[in-house]
Amino acid sequence: MDDPVQEPSPQPPARPRVSPFLPCFLAWCVPGLGHLSLGRTARAVAFFLVVTATFGLGLASGGTASVVDPQQPLSYLATFDNLALGPLDLVGRSVSLGGLVYRLPEEESSPERQAVMNRMRDRVRMPTYEYGSTFLLTAGLMNILLILDAFDIARGRKD
Amino acid sequence: MAAFAVLVAIFFAFLTQNRAKDRARVIAVLGGAMIVLSLIVAYVMYPFPLAR
Repeated sequence: MDDPVQEPSPQPPARPRVSPFLPCFLAWCVPGLGHLSLGRTARAVAFFLVVTATFGLGLASGGTASVVDPQQPLSYLATFDNLALGPLDLVGRSVSLGGLVYRLPEEESSPERQAVMNRMRDRVRMPTYEYGSTFLLTAGLMNILLILDAFDIARGRKD
Repeated sequence: MAAFAVLVAIFFAFLTQNRAKDRARVIAVLGGAMIVLSLIVAYVMYPFPLAR
């Protein structure tokens, strides 16, 4: 008896592939904008609301943007994480540090260093400072994931 | 703590799921698990004072 002819399983439709540079850049600029450029509107709106809410709660709770301190190697990671928020990081630094400060001046007696340290001490005194800083770091990590997700969608690796 | 759990749960639900029903399930499970586990850890750590 002849075996029944097996029908070949239908191939899933190939996912469209576009250049990932623009969606990743847009995702960095505004949370969710990269997904919006790729046609994922619901995700874009949800990501925008969640990341900006996390960022806003962090600032309102006394969170402080991280600055590079050569004496603390982990500060490099924390500052990079804040930078992943794109222009939102400019807002965070202006509110929490009083200006666009990315690195503590090395000279201890420097008036600029004293000004930044005083500003940071004021924020640290807030009882919700730790929560706020955690929220700010989480918002940065979320945006890093969004950039990577936009890359995967643009390359056709996921829907 | 609850706000953090809900925000993170919503984020990962939209990141990993495509359907609304699946997203709602992830939000409930992930957010609830984070809150419950946080409360358990808080009770476990209660005997250890911050400073003497």
